[in-house]
Amino acid sequence: MKMRCPISLVRAGRTFTFTLALALPGAACLSAQGFGARPQGDAPAPAARTPRAVTPKDLTGYWESIVTEYWRYRMIVPDKSDYVIVPLNAEGRKIADAWDPAKDKADGNECKGYGAAAIMQVPGRLHIYWQDDNTLRIDTDSGTQTRLLHFGGSAPQGQAPTWQGYSVASWDGIRPDTQRAGGGGPVVGGAAGAQGAIGSGPRQVGGAVPGYLKVVTTQMRPGYLRKNGVPYSDRATVEEYFDRFVDPYSNENWLVVTTVVTDPQYLLEPSITHAHFKKIADGSGWDPTPCRADEAR
Amino acid sequence: MGLTNTGRWKIQGFWFGVLLLLALPGRSLWAQVDLTGEWSPRIYNDGRDVGDYTGIPLNEPGRLRAEAWHPEQFDLPENICRPHAFDIGLRVAPAQLYISNELDSATQLILDYHFHAYWSDFRIWMDGRPHPPDYAAHKFSGFSTGHWEGSTLVFTTDHLKEGFITRTGAPLTEKATVTTRVNRYGNVLTMVFIINDPAYLTEPYIRESSWVYDPQQVIPAFPCEPSPEGTIIPAGSVPNYLPGKNDILTDFAKEYGIPPEAALGGAETTHPDYIKKMKTMKTLPRTTTTHFQRQG
Repeated sequence: MKMRCPISLVRAGRTFTFTLALALPGAACLSAQGFGARPQGDAPAPAARTPRAVTPKDLTGYWESIVTEYWRYRMIVPDKSDYVIVPLNAEGRKIADAWDPAKDKADGNECKGYGAAAIMQVPGRLHIYWQDDNTLRIDTDSGTQTRLLHFGGSAPQGQAPTWQGYSVASWDGIRPDTQRAGGGGPVVGGAAGAQGAIGSGPRQVGGAVPGYLKVVTTQMRPGYLRKNGVPYSDRATVEEYFDRFVDPYSNENWLVVTTVVTDPQYLLEPSITHAHFKKIADGSGWDPTPCRADEAR
Repeated sequence: MGLTNTGRWKIQGFWFGVLLLLALPGRSLWAQVDLTGEWSPRIYNDGRDVGDYTGIPLNEPGRLRAEAWHPEQFDLPENICRPHAFDIGLRVAPAQLYISNELDSATQLILDYHFHAYWSDFRIWMDGRPHPPDYAAHKFSGFSTGHWEGSTLVFTTDHLKEGFITRTGAPLTEKATVTTRVNRYGNVLTMVFIINDPAYLTEPYIRESSWVYDPQQVIPAFPCEPSPEGTIIPAGSVPNYLPGKNDILTDFAKEYGIPPEAALGGAETTHPDYIKKMKTMKTLPRTTTTHFQRQG
Protein backbone atom coordinates (compact mmCIF):
# COMPACT_ATOMS: atom_id res chain seq x y z
CA MET A 1 0.00 0.00 0.00
CA LYS A 2 1.34 3.33 -0.99
CA MET A 3 1.29 6.31 1.28
CA ARG A 4 2.02 9.86 0.30
CA CYS A 5 3.41 12.46 2.64
CA PRO A 6 1.14 15.43 3.05
CA ILE A 7 2.19 18.40 0.91
CA SER A 8 2.41 20.57 3.99
CA LEU A 9 4.83 18.17 5.61
CA VAL A 10 6.98 18.09 2.50
CA ARG A 11 7.01 21.88 2.39
CA ALA A 12 7.82 22.05 6.06
CA GLY A 13 10.62 19.58 5.49
CA ARG A 14 11.99 21.66 2.64
CA THR A 15 11.81 24.80 4.74
CA PHE A 16 13.53 23.02 7.60
CA THR A 17 16.20 21.74 5.25
CA PHE A 18 16.74 25.19 3.84
CA THR A 19 17.00 26.67 7.30
CA LEU A 20 19.43 24.00 8.35
CA ALA A 21 21.43 24.51 5.23
CA LEU A 22 21.89 28.12 6.21
CA ALA A 23 22.33 27.70 9.91
CA LEU A 24 24.29 24.52 10.39
CA PRO A 25 27.49 25.38 8.59
CA GLY A 26 27.81 28.57 10.54
CA ALA A 27 26.93 27.00 13.85
CA ALA A 28 29.08 23.98 13.24
CA CYS A 29 31.92 26.16 12.13
CA LEU A 30 31.71 28.29 15.22
CA SER A 31 31.45 25.17 17.31
CA ALA A 32 34.54 23.74 15.67
CA GLN A 33 36.43 26.84 16.68
CA GLY A 34 35.24 26.68 20.22
CA PHE A 35 32.72 29.48 20.26
CA GLY A 36 29.78 28.88 22.51
CA ALA A 37 30.97 25.46 23.52
CA ARG A 38 30.02 24.28 26.99
CA PRO A 39 31.43 21.39 28.89
CA GLN A 40 29.27 18.40 29.66
CA GLY A 41 27.16 18.53 32.79
CA ASP A 42 25.85 21.44 34.78
CA ALA A 43 29.16 23.01 35.70
CA PRO A 44 29.44 26.52 34.38
CA ALA A 45 31.92 27.02 31.61
CA PRO A 46 35.00 28.42 33.35
CA ALA A 47 37.77 30.22 31.60
CA ALA A 48 37.93 27.42 29.08
CA ARG A 49 37.31 29.68 26.11
CA THR A 50 39.57 32.52 27.08
CA PRO A 51 42.42 33.43 24.74
CA ARG A 52 44.77 31.94 27.28
CA ALA A 53 42.90 28.64 27.32
CA VAL A 54 42.57 28.24 23.59
CA THR A 55 45.98 29.52 22.58
CA PRO A 56 47.07 27.35 19.65
CA LYS A 57 50.78 28.03 20.05
CA ASP A 58 52.43 28.48 23.40
CA LEU A 59 54.74 31.48 23.21
CA THR A 60 55.40 31.66 26.94
CA GLY A 61 58.81 31.26 28.47
CA TYR A 62 62.20 32.88 28.20
CA TRP A 63 63.64 33.71 24.80
CA GLU A 64 67.00 35.11 23.75
CA SER A 65 67.77 37.19 20.66
CA ILE A 66 69.97 35.49 18.11
CA VAL A 67 71.32 38.27 15.95
CA THR A 68 72.10 36.74 12.58
CA GLU A 69 70.84 39.59 10.43
CA TYR A 70 71.58 43.30 10.35
CA TRP A 71 74.17 42.65 12.97
CA ARG A 72 75.97 45.93 12.52
CA TYR A 73 72.74 47.88 13.02
CA ARG A 74 71.83 45.98 16.17
CA MET A 75 74.93 44.78 18.04
CA ILE A 76 76.57 48.18 17.87
CA VAL A 77 75.05 51.64 17.70
CA PRO A 78 75.29 52.63 14.02
CA ASP A 79 76.71 55.97 13.07
CA LYS A 80 74.54 58.99 12.68
CA SER A 81 72.86 59.10 9.26
CA ASP A 82 73.38 55.39 8.64
CA TYR A 83 69.82 54.55 7.64
CA VAL A 84 70.53 52.06 4.89
CA ILE A 85 67.53 49.93 3.90
CA VAL A 86 65.07 51.98 6.00
CA PRO A 87 62.57 53.63 3.58
CA LEU A 88 62.90 57.06 5.20
CA ASN A 89 61.44 60.10 3.49
CA ALA A 90 63.17 63.47 3.43
CA GLU A 91 61.60 64.59 6.70
CA GLY A 92 62.69 61.37 8.38
CA ARG A 93 66.23 61.78 7.12
CA LYS A 94 66.34 65.28 8.48
CA ILE A 95 65.40 63.99 11.91
CA ALA A 96 67.90 61.13 11.69
CA ASP A 97 70.66 63.51 10.61
CA ALA A 98 70.04 65.60 13.72
CA TRP A 99 70.27 62.67 16.16
CA ASP A 100 71.87 63.70 19.43
CA PRO A 101 72.03 60.98 22.09
CA ALA A 102 73.30 63.45 24.70
CA LYS A 103 70.18 65.55 24.20
CA ASP A 104 67.95 62.48 24.44
CA LYS A 105 69.65 61.65 27.71
CA ALA A 106 69.25 65.16 29.04
CA ASP A 107 65.60 65.26 28.00
CA GLY A 108 64.73 61.95 29.62
CA ASN A 109 64.14 60.34 26.22
CA GLU A 110 66.58 57.49 26.54
CA CYS A 111 63.81 54.97 25.85
CA LYS A 112 63.24 56.24 22.32
CA GLY A 113 65.14 53.27 20.90
CA TYR A 114 63.16 50.79 22.99
CA GLY A 115 59.60 51.55 21.82
CA ALA A 116 57.23 48.96 20.38
CA ALA A 117 58.37 49.58 16.81
CA ALA A 118 61.97 48.71 17.65
CA ILE A 119 62.15 46.70 20.86
CA MET A 120 62.22 43.32 19.12
CA GLN A 121 65.32 44.47 17.22
CA VAL A 122 67.21 45.35 20.40
CA PRO A 123 69.38 42.37 21.38
CA GLY A 124 68.26 40.89 24.68
CA ARG A 125 65.90 38.46 26.30
CA LEU A 126 62.14 38.22 26.44
CA HIS A 127 60.00 36.80 29.19
CA ILE A 128 56.57 36.02 27.78
CA TYR A 129 53.73 35.01 30.10
CA TRP A 130 50.01 35.46 30.62
CA GLN A 131 49.29 38.38 32.88
CA ASP A 132 45.64 37.31 32.91
CA ASP A 133 43.34 35.24 30.73
CA ASN A 134 43.17 37.94 28.06
CA THR A 135 46.58 39.59 28.24
CA LEU A 136 49.87 38.20 27.07
CA ARG A 137 52.76 40.05 28.63
CA ILE A 138 56.27 40.50 27.26
CA ASP A 139 59.00 41.74 29.54
CA THR A 140 62.35 42.65 28.02
CA ASP A 141 65.59 42.76 29.92
CA SER A 142 67.00 45.30 27.46
CA GLY A 143 65.59 48.62 28.50
CA THR A 144 63.41 46.88 31.12
CA GLN A 145 60.28 47.35 29.05
CA THR A 146 56.85 45.73 29.37
CA ARG A 147 54.48 45.10 26.52
CA LEU A 148 50.88 44.05 27.07
CA LEU A 149 49.17 42.24 24.21
CA HIS A 150 45.41 42.56 24.68
CA PHE A 151 43.25 39.88 23.08
CA GLY A 152 39.88 41.05 21.85
CA GLY A 153 38.49 44.53 21.56
CA SER A 154 40.23 47.49 20.11
CA ALA A 155 42.55 50.19 21.32
CA PRO A 156 40.76 52.64 23.63
CA GLN A 157 40.68 56.19 22.41
CA GLY A 158 42.08 59.16 24.20
CA GLN A 159 44.85 57.45 26.11
CA ALA A 160 48.17 59.16 26.51
CA PRO A 161 50.76 57.63 24.17
CA THR A 162 53.47 55.47 25.71
CA TRP A 163 56.69 53.88 24.48
CA GLN A 164 54.97 50.53 24.07
CA GLY A 165 51.59 51.91 22.96
CA TYR A 166 48.45 49.83 23.03
CA SER A 167 48.61 46.38 21.44
CA VAL A 168 45.66 44.35 20.20
CA ALA A 169 46.42 40.68 19.63
CA SER A 170 44.67 37.91 17.75
CA TRP A 171 45.48 34.48 16.41
CA ASP A 172 45.48 34.70 12.68
CA GLY A 173 46.35 32.70 9.62
CA ILE A 174 44.39 30.82 7.11
CA ARG A 175 44.63 27.11 6.96
CA PRO A 176 45.33 25.63 3.57
CA ASP A 177 42.73 23.90 1.52
CA THR A 178 43.73 20.36 2.31
CA GLN A 179 42.30 19.12 -0.94
CA ARG A 180 45.23 20.78 -2.62
CA ALA A 181 47.76 21.08 0.12
CA GLY A 182 49.82 18.04 -0.68
CA GLY A 183 52.75 16.91 1.37
CA GLY A 184 56.44 16.52 0.84
CA GLY A 185 58.28 13.30 0.74
CA PRO A 186 61.05 12.16 3.04
CA VAL A 187 64.61 13.32 2.76
CA VAL A 188 66.77 10.35 1.92
CA GLY A 189 70.24 10.26 3.40
CA GLY A 190 72.36 13.37 3.90
CA ALA A 191 72.64 15.43 7.04
CA ALA A 192 68.94 15.98 7.32
CA GLY A 193 68.07 12.40 6.62
CA ALA A 194 70.22 11.28 9.49
CA GLN A 195 68.12 13.36 11.85
CA GLY A 196 64.79 12.22 10.56
CA ALA A 197 62.67 12.48 7.52
CA ILE A 198 62.01 16.18 7.26
CA GLY A 199 58.83 16.91 5.45
CA SER A 200 57.63 13.36 5.72
CA GLY A 201 55.20 13.90 8.54
CA PRO A 202 51.54 13.20 8.18
CA ARG A 203 49.74 15.46 5.81
CA GLN A 204 47.81 18.17 7.53
CA VAL A 205 44.19 17.19 7.70
CA GLY A 206 42.16 20.27 8.23
CA GLY A 207 45.21 22.27 9.29
CA ALA A 208 43.41 23.10 12.49
CA VAL A 209 46.15 25.22 13.99
CA PRO A 210 46.04 28.90 13.07
CA GLY A 211 49.38 30.03 11.90
CA TYR A 212 50.57 32.95 13.93
CA LEU A 213 49.92 35.62 16.49
CA LYS A 214 49.12 38.99 14.98
CA VAL A 215 49.64 42.11 17.08
CA VAL A 216 48.68 45.63 16.06
CA THR A 217 50.11 48.47 18.14
CA THR A 218 49.12 52.12 18.07
CA GLN A 219 49.23 55.08 20.48
CA MET A 220 53.00 55.11 20.75
CA ARG A 221 55.27 57.95 21.70
CA PRO A 222 57.63 58.94 18.88
CA GLY A 223 60.74 56.81 18.93
CA TYR A 224 63.61 55.32 16.95
CA LEU A 225 63.56 52.37 14.59
CA ARG A 226 67.30 52.11 15.17
CA LYS A 227 69.40 53.21 18.06
CA ASN A 228 71.00 55.92 15.92
CA GLY A 229 67.94 58.12 15.77
CA VAL A 230 66.11 56.78 12.70
CA PRO A 231 62.67 58.05 13.63
CA TYR A 232 59.09 56.89 13.75
CA SER A 233 56.31 59.26 14.70
CA ASP A 234 53.30 59.10 16.99
CA ARG A 235 51.25 58.40 13.87
CA ALA A 236 53.01 55.10 13.30
CA THR A 237 51.27 51.75 13.40
CA VAL A 238 53.14 48.54 14.14
CA GLU A 239 51.94 45.18 12.88
CA GLU A 240 53.76 42.17 14.22
CA TYR A 241 53.53 38.50 13.40
CA PHE A 242 54.85 35.95 15.90
CA ASP A 243 55.61 32.48 14.62
CA ARG A 244 56.98 29.71 16.80
CA PHE A 245 58.50 26.53 15.41
CA VAL A 246 61.09 23.86 16.04
CA ASP A 247 64.30 23.92 14.06
CA PRO A 248 64.44 20.49 12.41
CA TYR A 249 68.22 20.29 12.68
CA SER A 250 68.94 21.19 16.26
CA ASN A 251 65.42 20.72 17.67
CA GLU A 252 65.69 24.18 19.19
CA ASN A 253 62.51 26.20 19.68
CA TRP A 254 62.47 29.42 17.70
CA LEU A 255 60.30 32.48 17.81
CA VAL A 256 60.41 34.67 14.72
CA VAL A 257 58.86 38.11 14.88
CA THR A 258 58.16 39.95 11.63
CA THR A 259 57.51 43.65 12.22
CA VAL A 260 55.84 45.96 9.73
CA VAL A 261 55.98 49.64 10.67
CA THR A 262 53.77 52.05 8.78
CA ASP A 263 54.40 55.73 9.38
CA PRO A 264 52.89 58.36 7.09
CA GLN A 265 55.13 61.01 8.61
CA TYR A 266 58.62 59.58 8.21
CA LEU A 267 58.42 56.52 5.97
CA LEU A 268 57.93 56.30 2.23
CA GLU A 269 56.46 52.85 2.61
CA PRO A 270 56.17 50.28 5.40
CA SER A 271 59.44 49.15 6.93
CA ILE A 272 59.75 45.39 7.41
CA THR A 273 62.19 43.83 9.85
CA HIS A 274 62.65 40.41 11.41
CA ALA A 275 63.92 39.25 14.78
CA HIS A 276 64.81 35.72 15.78
CA PHE A 277 64.71 34.35 19.32
CA LYS A 278 65.80 31.00 20.65
CA LYS A 279 64.05 29.50 23.66
CA ILE A 280 66.18 29.30 26.78
CA ALA A 281 65.57 27.17 29.82
CA ASP A 282 64.92 29.86 32.38
CA GLY A 283 65.64 33.40 33.42
CA SER A 284 69.07 32.74 34.82
CA GLY A 285 70.68 34.88 32.12
CA TRP A 286 68.24 37.72 32.64
CA ASP A 287 70.26 40.91 32.49
CA PRO A 288 68.03 43.95 33.00
CA THR A 289 69.43 47.19 31.72
CA PRO A 290 67.95 50.67 31.80
CA CYS A 291 67.15 52.51 28.60
CA ARG A 292 70.40 53.86 27.21
CA ALA A 293 70.65 56.32 24.38
CA ASP A 294 74.17 55.46 23.36
CA GLU A 295 74.35 51.71 23.89
CA ALA A 296 73.26 48.84 21.66
CA ARG A 297 71.07 47.42 24.45
CA MET B 1 2.16 1.21 6.71
CA GLY B 2 5.23 2.18 4.73
CA LEU B 3 6.65 4.96 2.72
CA THR B 4 6.97 5.03 -1.02
CA ASN B 5 10.44 4.72 -2.40
CA THR B 6 10.29 8.37 -3.30
CA GLY B 7 9.35 9.39 0.22
CA ARG B 8 11.99 7.12 1.72
CA TRP B 9 14.63 8.58 -0.50
CA LYS B 10 13.52 12.08 0.38
CA ILE B 11 13.79 11.38 4.11
CA GLN B 12 17.07 9.56 3.74
CA GLY B 13 18.36 12.37 1.56
CA PHE B 14 17.27 14.91 4.15
CA TRP B 15 19.16 13.20 6.95
CA PHE B 16 22.13 12.62 4.68
CA GLY B 17 22.16 16.34 4.01
CA VAL B 18 22.04 17.12 7.70
CA LEU B 19 24.88 14.72 8.41
CA LEU B 20 26.86 16.16 5.52
CA LEU B 21 26.45 19.66 6.89
CA LEU B 22 27.55 18.49 10.31
CA ALA B 23 30.50 16.68 8.83
CA LEU B 24 31.85 19.75 7.05
CA PRO B 25 32.07 22.39 9.73
CA GLY B 26 34.54 25.11 9.42
CA ARG B 27 35.79 24.39 5.97
CA SER B 28 33.65 26.93 4.22
CA LEU B 29 34.99 29.82 6.24
CA TRP B 30 38.57 29.05 5.35
CA ALA B 31 40.21 29.74 2.08
CA GLN B 32 43.43 28.40 0.75
CA VAL B 33 46.62 30.28 1.53
CA ASP B 34 47.39 31.63 -1.88
CA LEU B 35 51.08 32.14 -2.37
CA THR B 36 50.88 32.53 -6.11
CA GLY B 37 51.50 35.75 -7.98
CA GLU B 38 54.08 38.49 -8.24
CA TRP B 39 56.02 39.50 -5.14
CA SER B 40 58.26 42.52 -4.89
CA PRO B 41 61.28 42.26 -2.55
CA ARG B 42 61.44 44.43 0.54
CA ILE B 43 64.55 43.07 2.17
CA TYR B 44 67.33 43.25 -0.30
CA ASN B 45 70.66 41.60 0.17
CA ASP B 46 72.38 42.74 3.29
CA GLY B 47 74.84 45.02 1.55
CA ARG B 48 77.66 43.06 3.06
CA ASP B 49 81.24 43.98 2.48
CA VAL B 50 84.28 41.75 2.19
CA GLY B 51 85.23 40.64 5.68
CA ASP B 52 81.67 40.99 6.98
CA TYR B 53 80.66 37.60 8.31
CA THR B 54 78.73 39.07 11.18
CA GLY B 55 75.99 36.90 12.60
CA ILE B 56 77.04 33.82 10.65
CA PRO B 57 77.95 30.82 12.83
CA LEU B 58 80.97 29.93 10.69
CA ASN B 59 83.43 27.38 11.95
CA GLU B 60 87.17 27.77 11.38
CA PRO B 61 87.32 25.95 8.01
CA GLY B 62 84.38 28.04 6.83
CA ARG B 63 86.10 31.22 7.88
CA LEU B 64 89.31 30.21 6.09
CA ARG B 65 87.37 29.56 2.90
CA ALA B 66 85.66 32.92 3.22
CA GLU B 67 88.94 34.73 3.77
CA ALA B 68 90.39 33.16 0.62
CA TRP B 69 87.58 34.52 -1.52
CA HIS B 70 88.38 37.39 -3.85
CA PRO B 71 85.68 39.74 -5.23
CA GLU B 72 87.02 39.32 -8.75
CA GLN B 73 86.17 35.63 -8.74
CA PHE B 74 82.72 36.59 -9.93
CA ASP B 75 84.31 38.03 -13.07
CA LEU B 76 85.76 34.73 -14.24
CA PRO B 77 84.00 33.58 -17.42
CA GLU B 78 82.73 30.43 -15.75
CA ASN B 79 81.26 32.41 -12.85
CA ILE B 80 79.63 35.39 -14.55
CA CYS B 81 76.38 33.58 -15.26
CA ARG B 82 76.70 31.05 -12.46
CA PRO B 83 73.41 30.90 -10.54
CA HIS B 84 73.27 31.34 -6.80
CA ALA B 85 72.05 28.64 -4.49
CA PHE B 86 68.28 28.95 -4.25
CA ASP B 87 68.10 30.83 -0.95
CA ILE B 88 70.71 33.50 -1.56
CA GLY B 89 69.30 33.76 -5.06
CA LEU B 90 66.11 34.96 -3.44
CA ARG B 91 67.99 37.60 -1.44
CA VAL B 92 70.14 39.14 -4.11
CA ALA B 93 68.59 42.33 -5.41
CA PRO B 94 66.48 42.56 -7.42
CA ALA B 95 64.88 39.37 -6.10
CA GLN B 96 61.56 39.94 -7.77
CA LEU B 97 59.65 36.74 -7.23
CA TYR B 98 56.92 34.98 -9.11
CA ILE B 99 55.20 32.00 -7.53
CA SER B 100 52.95 29.67 -9.43
CA ASN B 101 51.67 26.20 -8.86
CA GLU B 102 50.91 23.21 -10.97
CA LEU B 103 47.88 21.02 -10.42
CA ASP B 104 47.63 17.34 -11.06
CA SER B 105 44.92 17.23 -13.69
CA ALA B 106 43.46 14.01 -12.34
CA THR B 107 43.36 14.77 -8.64
CA GLN B 108 43.44 18.58 -8.64
CA LEU B 109 46.04 18.36 -5.88
CA ILE B 110 48.93 20.77 -5.98
CA LEU B 111 51.77 18.92 -7.58
CA ASP B 112 54.38 21.57 -6.99
CA TYR B 113 55.04 25.24 -6.34
CA HIS B 114 57.33 26.99 -8.76
CA PHE B 115 59.41 29.86 -7.34
CA HIS B 116 60.99 32.00 -9.98
CA ALA B 117 63.25 34.97 -9.27
CA TYR B 118 65.85 36.82 -11.26
CA TRP B 119 68.66 34.78 -9.76
CA SER B 120 66.81 31.72 -8.58
CA ASP B 121 64.38 29.21 -10.03
CA PHE B 122 63.21 26.04 -8.33
CA ARG B 123 60.24 23.79 -7.65
CA ILE B 124 58.84 22.52 -4.40
CA TRP B 125 57.30 19.11 -4.84
CA MET B 126 54.11 18.64 -2.85
CA ASP B 127 53.09 15.22 -4.08
CA GLY B 128 54.88 13.14 -1.49
CA ARG B 129 57.76 12.04 -3.65
CA PRO B 130 60.97 11.19 -1.78
CA HIS B 131 64.22 13.06 -2.16
CA PRO B 132 66.66 11.40 -4.54
CA PRO B 133 69.55 9.33 -3.19
CA ASP B 134 72.77 11.02 -2.12
CA TYR B 135 74.54 10.13 -5.35
CA ALA B 136 71.96 11.94 -7.49
CA ALA B 137 73.02 15.11 -9.25
CA HIS B 138 73.32 18.28 -7.18
CA LYS B 139 72.04 21.55 -8.63
CA PHE B 140 72.08 25.21 -7.67
CA SER B 141 68.32 24.96 -7.26
CA GLY B 142 68.63 21.80 -5.18
CA PHE B 143 65.74 19.43 -4.66
CA SER B 144 62.81 20.57 -2.52
CA THR B 145 59.78 18.90 -1.05
CA GLY B 146 57.17 20.75 0.98
CA HIS B 147 54.18 20.34 3.23
CA TRP B 148 51.82 22.62 5.09
CA GLU B 149 52.03 23.24 8.82
CA GLY B 150 48.84 25.15 9.53
CA SER B 151 49.09 28.17 7.29
CA THR B 152 52.85 27.84 6.83
CA LEU B 153 54.42 26.22 3.80
CA VAL B 154 57.50 24.36 4.99
CA PHE B 155 59.94 22.96 2.50
CA THR B 156 63.28 21.23 2.71
CA THR B 157 65.99 21.56 0.12
CA ASP B 158 69.03 19.38 -0.37
CA HIS B 159 71.15 18.24 -3.31
CA LEU B 160 72.59 21.74 -3.57
CA LYS B 161 75.81 22.54 -5.38
CA GLU B 162 78.59 24.24 -3.52
CA GLY B 163 77.83 27.94 -3.35
CA PHE B 164 77.77 30.88 -0.99
CA ILE B 165 75.81 32.08 2.03
CA THR B 166 76.70 35.67 1.19
CA ARG B 167 77.91 37.34 -1.96
CA THR B 168 81.12 38.12 -0.15
CA GLY B 169 82.46 34.61 0.03
CA ALA B 170 80.98 32.92 3.10
CA PRO B 171 80.78 29.41 1.74
CA LEU B 172 78.03 26.83 1.52
CA THR B 173 78.85 23.22 0.73
CA GLU B 174 77.00 20.56 -1.19
CA LYS B 175 76.28 18.90 2.16
CA ALA B 176 74.02 21.77 3.18
CA THR B 177 70.31 21.33 3.75
CA VAL B 178 67.95 24.27 3.99
CA THR B 179 64.53 24.27 5.62
CA THR B 180 62.36 27.21 4.59
CA ARG B 181 59.13 28.42 6.21
CA VAL B 182 56.90 30.54 4.00
CA ASN B 183 54.21 32.67 5.61
CA ARG B 184 51.81 35.05 4.00
CA TYR B 185 50.83 37.87 6.34
CA GLY B 186 48.20 39.69 4.34
CA ASN B 187 50.10 41.17 1.44
CA VAL B 188 53.50 40.49 3.00
CA LEU B 189 55.27 37.25 2.20
CA THR B 190 58.10 36.14 4.44
CA MET B 191 60.52 33.29 4.16
CA VAL B 192 62.59 32.06 7.08
CA PHE B 193 65.62 30.11 5.91
CA ILE B 194 67.28 27.68 8.31
CA ILE B 195 70.58 26.64 6.79
CA ASN B 196 72.30 23.56 8.10
CA ASP B 197 75.80 22.98 6.78
CA PRO B 198 77.77 20.53 8.90
CA ALA B 199 80.95 21.35 6.97
CA TYR B 200 81.19 25.09 7.59
CA LEU B 201 78.63 26.04 10.26
CA THR B 202 78.72 25.20 13.93
CA GLU B 203 74.95 25.50 14.23
CA PRO B 204 72.03 26.18 11.90
CA TYR B 205 72.03 29.69 10.47
CA ILE B 206 68.63 31.38 10.41
CA ARG B 207 67.70 34.39 8.34
CA GLU B 208 64.62 35.83 6.72
CA SER B 209 63.45 37.80 3.70
CA SER B 210 60.20 39.56 2.83
CA TRP B 211 58.25 40.49 -0.25
CA VAL B 212 55.14 42.57 -0.85
CA TYR B 213 52.36 41.49 -3.21
CA ASP B 214 52.74 43.42 -6.45
CA PRO B 215 50.52 42.12 -9.26
CA GLN B 216 51.83 44.78 -11.67
CA GLN B 217 55.41 43.66 -11.32
CA VAL B 218 57.31 42.54 -14.41
CA ILE B 219 60.43 40.48 -13.90
CA PRO B 220 62.99 41.55 -16.49
CA ALA B 221 64.81 39.21 -18.76
CA PHE B 222 68.06 37.68 -17.54
CA PRO B 223 70.57 39.15 -19.95
CA CYS B 224 73.62 37.24 -18.81
CA GLU B 225 76.29 36.37 -21.31
CA PRO B 226 79.68 34.99 -20.35
CA SER B 227 82.61 37.12 -21.41
CA PRO B 228 85.45 35.44 -23.26
CA GLU B 229 88.36 34.40 -21.12
CA GLY B 230 90.85 37.15 -20.53
CA THR B 231 88.54 40.08 -21.22
CA ILE B 232 87.96 40.97 -17.57
CA ILE B 233 90.44 38.89 -15.61
CA PRO B 234 93.79 37.93 -17.12
CA ALA B 235 93.55 34.52 -18.74
CA GLY B 236 94.82 31.62 -16.70
CA SER B 237 94.49 33.22 -13.29
CA VAL B 238 92.03 32.77 -10.47
CA PRO B 239 91.96 35.76 -8.10
CA ASN B 240 92.26 34.65 -4.49
CA TYR B 241 93.89 35.37 -1.16
CA LEU B 242 96.22 32.88 0.40
CA PRO B 243 95.71 32.25 4.13
CA GLY B 244 96.68 35.29 6.16
CA LYS B 245 97.29 37.40 3.05
CA ASN B 246 93.88 39.03 2.62
CA ASP B 247 94.78 42.71 2.89
CA ILE B 248 91.19 43.95 2.67
CA LEU B 249 89.78 41.56 5.26
CA THR B 250 89.66 44.10 8.07
CA ASP B 251 88.36 47.03 6.02
CA PHE B 252 84.80 46.36 7.06
CA ALA B 253 85.66 46.23 10.76
CA LYS B 254 87.75 49.37 10.40
CA GLU B 255 84.98 51.33 8.72
CA TYR B 256 82.31 50.50 11.24
CA GLY B 257 84.39 50.48 14.41
CA ILE B 258 83.81 46.79 15.04
CA PRO B 259 86.44 44.59 16.68
CA PRO B 260 87.98 42.65 13.75
CA GLU B 261 87.45 39.37 15.55
CA ALA B 262 83.74 40.09 15.91
CA ALA B 263 83.39 40.85 12.21
CA LEU B 264 84.52 37.35 11.38
CA GLY B 265 81.35 35.82 12.79
CA GLY B 266 80.87 32.69 14.86
CA ALA B 267 77.98 31.52 16.96
CA GLU B 268 79.13 33.40 20.05
CA THR B 269 78.80 36.73 18.25
CA THR B 270 75.05 36.28 17.76
CA HIS B 271 74.17 36.43 21.46
CA PRO B 272 73.30 39.65 23.32
CA ASP B 273 76.04 39.08 25.89
CA TYR B 274 78.61 39.48 23.15
CA ILE B 275 77.91 43.21 23.27
CA LYS B 276 79.56 43.29 26.69
CA LYS B 277 82.50 41.27 25.47
CA MET B 278 83.09 43.61 22.55
CA LYS B 279 83.69 46.45 24.98
CA THR B 280 86.84 44.67 26.08
CA MET B 281 88.04 43.97 22.56
CA LYS B 282 90.36 46.03 20.43
CA THR B 283 89.09 48.01 17.48
CA LEU B 284 91.09 49.48 14.65
CA PRO B 285 91.35 53.21 13.96
CA ARG B 286 88.42 54.30 11.81
CA THR B 287 89.84 55.75 8.64
CA THR B 288 86.64 56.25 6.70
CA THR B 289 82.98 56.94 7.38
CA THR B 290 81.67 56.52 3.86
CA HIS B 291 80.18 53.14 4.65
CA PHE B 292 76.56 54.19 4.44
CA GLN B 293 76.95 54.79 0.73
CA ARG B 294 77.94 51.22 0.15
CA GLN B 295 75.25 48.73 -0.62
CA GLY B 296 75.60 45.43 -2.40
